Amino acid sequence: MPAYKRPSSLMPMTTGYCPGCLHALATRLVADVIDELDQKNNAINVVSVGCSALNLYSWAGDVIGSAHGRAPAVATGVKRSMPDRLVFTYQGDGDLAAIGLAEIMSAANRGENFTVIFANNQTYGMTGGQMAPTTLIGQKSTTTRFGRDAATTGYPMQMCELISVLKAPVFVARYALNSPKGVMDAKKGIKKAFELQLAGKGFTFIELLTNCPTNWGMSPLNTLEYMNTNTIPYFKPGIYKDEEAEG
Amino acid sequence: MEKRFMKGCEAIAEAAVRGGCRFFAGYPITPQNEIPEYLSWRLPEVGGSFVQGESEVASINMVYGAAATGTRSMTSSSGPGISLKAEGISYLASAQLPAVIVNISRGGPGLGSIQPAQSDYLQATKALGHGGFRTMVFAPATLQEAVDLTYNAWDYAERDRNPVLILMDGCLGAIMEEVELPPMKELDYTVTEDWDLSKRNGREDSHMITPILPEMALEMLNKFKGMTYNMWGMMDVKVEEYLLEDAEYVVVAYGIAARVAKEAINTLREEGYKVGMIRPITLYPFPKASLDNLDYGKVKGIIDIEMTIPAQMRDDIELQVKGRCPVHEYGRSGGMLLDDEGVYNAISEIVKGGE
Amino acid sequence: MKKSFVFSGSGGQGIMSAGMMLAHAAIDTEKHATFLPEYGPEQRGGSAKCTVIVSDGEIVSPLTKKCDNFVAMNEQAYNKFKDDVKEGGVMVLNSSRVTSAVERTDVKVISVPVDDIALEVGNIKVANIVIIGALIGATEIVSKDVFVASLEAKFREKKPEILAMNLKALEKGIEFGKQAK
Repeated sequence: MPAYKRPSSLMPMTTGYCPGCLHALATRLVADVIDELDQKNNAINVVSVGCSALNLYSWAGDVIGSAHGRAPAVATGVKRSMPDRLVFTYQGDGDLAAIGLAEIMSAANRGENFTVIFANNQTYGMTGGQMAPTTLIGQKSTTTRFGRDAATTGYPMQMCELISVLKAPVFVARYALNSPKGVMDAKKGIKKAFELQLAGKGFTFIELLTNCPTNWGMSPLNTLEYMNTNTIPYFKPGIYKDEEAEG
Repeated sequence: MEKRFMKGCEAIAEAAVRGGCRFFAGYPITPQNEIPEYLSWRLPEVGGSFVQGESEVASINMVYGAAATGTRSMTSSSGPGISLKAEGISYLASAQLPAVIVNISRGGPGLGSIQPAQSDYLQATKALGHGGFRTMVFAPATLQEAVDLTYNAWDYAERDRNPVLILMDGCLGAIMEEVELPPMKELDYTVTEDWDLSKRNGREDSHMITPILPEMALEMLNKFKGMTYNMWGMMDVKVEEYLLEDAEYVVVAYGIAARVAKEAINTLREEGYKVGMIRPITLYPFPKASLDNLDYGKVKGIIDIEMTIPAQMRDDIELQVKGRCPVHEYGRSGGMLLDDEGVYNAISEIVKGGE
Repeated sequence: MKKSFVFSGSGGQGIMSAGMMLAHAAIDTEKHATFLPEYGPEQRGGSAKCTVIVSDGEIVSPLTKKCDNFVAMNEQAYNKFKDDVKEGGVMVLNSSRVTSAVERTDVKVISVPVDDIALEVGNIKVANIVIIGALIGATEIVSKDVFVASLEAKFREKKPEILAMNLKALEKGIEFGKQAK
């Protein structure tokens, strides 16, 4: 067993994420996989706006900050210009499923050969906990004080389900980071997505269910339980599309 | 030099390729569609990439991504689409990325009209996006000038690590004229490889391209940009001064308006009237000295002619005239074109009325 | 020498290609030319207009209020632009479609049953060649030989009948133009 150590793609510093936030774990998983694939000098992290933007400061490899929602467009420009690099976006749910809906769907539909890491914590963390497109029905936020009401705000956006109906994407999967098994599966999924990209197979999409202790107003431990009883039943983990699967 | 009879949009597109452009992303909007249409087949021929974006917003951000790799990148649009690109252009300026943006302008405001107009001067020169940055703004009057300015635009963009805007109205985009095409440029990647993400020089260290900065660093960047803008004013002003020596009336006009005005000035000269013209080729940096240094003992009036109403360049003109003579304006707008007769009559009324 | 030409009609009548052919022919004879198309927003059947300027010297302004030579392929275009022809200018009208009586007496009017001739020659598509022929016959802005050469170049890849039909259309047009001279 290799010793448990800091991945080389992360700066030797603490991240800006709140204590107990699974963003930090999600970032670490990506960095671990990049180390395992020996891609540290080849990877380009296209960071978006929201808490995910904190990656700008903790990422040790090449990194580009992009406008809110536009990371898939930026990644398109990067990857088309440098097809040999490992390019991925790291986006939150407000960024990807609201303001950036056109960019994510279009990049997926074009089959751009990069990977999207989508951290879904059902809230706008950085701006203070407003309703996100993924906020659950009944879940409270600063703009849905009595809980999200489907009558006026519709239903939480299920991105894996939406993207998997497109023809071009080759691998679409969702993992929940609130259990050791979920974390191990997520790491395998990220690795598979990156390997598919390096083999030139096309668009890969990894959704990671995360938490937000600060804006959900819960202890980190309670967020994990909340995910079990509320998040996971609606955002079901699993592989939604796998064009390269054997058989 | 290779001579061709070309349409404005296609001439710009070919000049871009020869100037080293290897990435284009854009979204259809009249009257600039011939630029993406041309580049959609031309860029792959030279190993470049063309992407038809899902929107103007996506397209400018694709350009942002490509520019970060040190690839010479371009997008084009018309007024309404440039408004949508505004955010992305500001990000390019902030992240210090070179790129070329072309505006083939049409009647405004709003969806306006698809017919040609010069209604985007203020947007181009004052606020091409939020946050108070500037870009160089090239305003060609002939297709040859458009070709030459486009061909060299990346040299400025990369020198300054800042986007460059080419502003041309729909007439020049649609018109066909003879142009001499310059040869393919040899690309010099050493200009960008110390900051771009290409790792062309074999380096192992990593880079951050960022449109967000800690406060002190952002202030430093803004001070540096301020110095850059001042340098443009000293080094990069391009202007045509036409028959100014003895001029009693000076027309100020750019792009297509300047061509129509020149024809009228030629006629008035034949009639014995002393009319000259200042034609800004760079709208920013604005040719301040040309206006400031006029002999106001002799000059009786300035006439600002633009294909927009009200005139938008007038404030920049008046800042240099400083009340030393009256400033008049004449224009058409909304997609109604200037023509020789209208411009001649407008100038002539002022000139002959002053006798 | 500087001459301006306006070609007008509706989409599908070959207005733009007529203007472009004239501009190319002018360039082939070492003259300068500009071609400015103006479209309506419609993709099909809308109004179509283009302005061509041909000059021995540099063309300063490509935008002109009044033209020296005016071609109207239909009634609507005629009514819209008939006052934008210079005094002493030339109007070439497609009399198959322009039926109003011409009021202006300060211009030379050449009426050509363009559609009828085109159909007689073989195809309505050569209507624009007929009208260019009339213009060449009346104004000699470019020599017939130059235009024939550019037609030959244009249709080199096509069947020989197509070139023959175009040349015939040109010839008929020139005859009409010369008569009016």
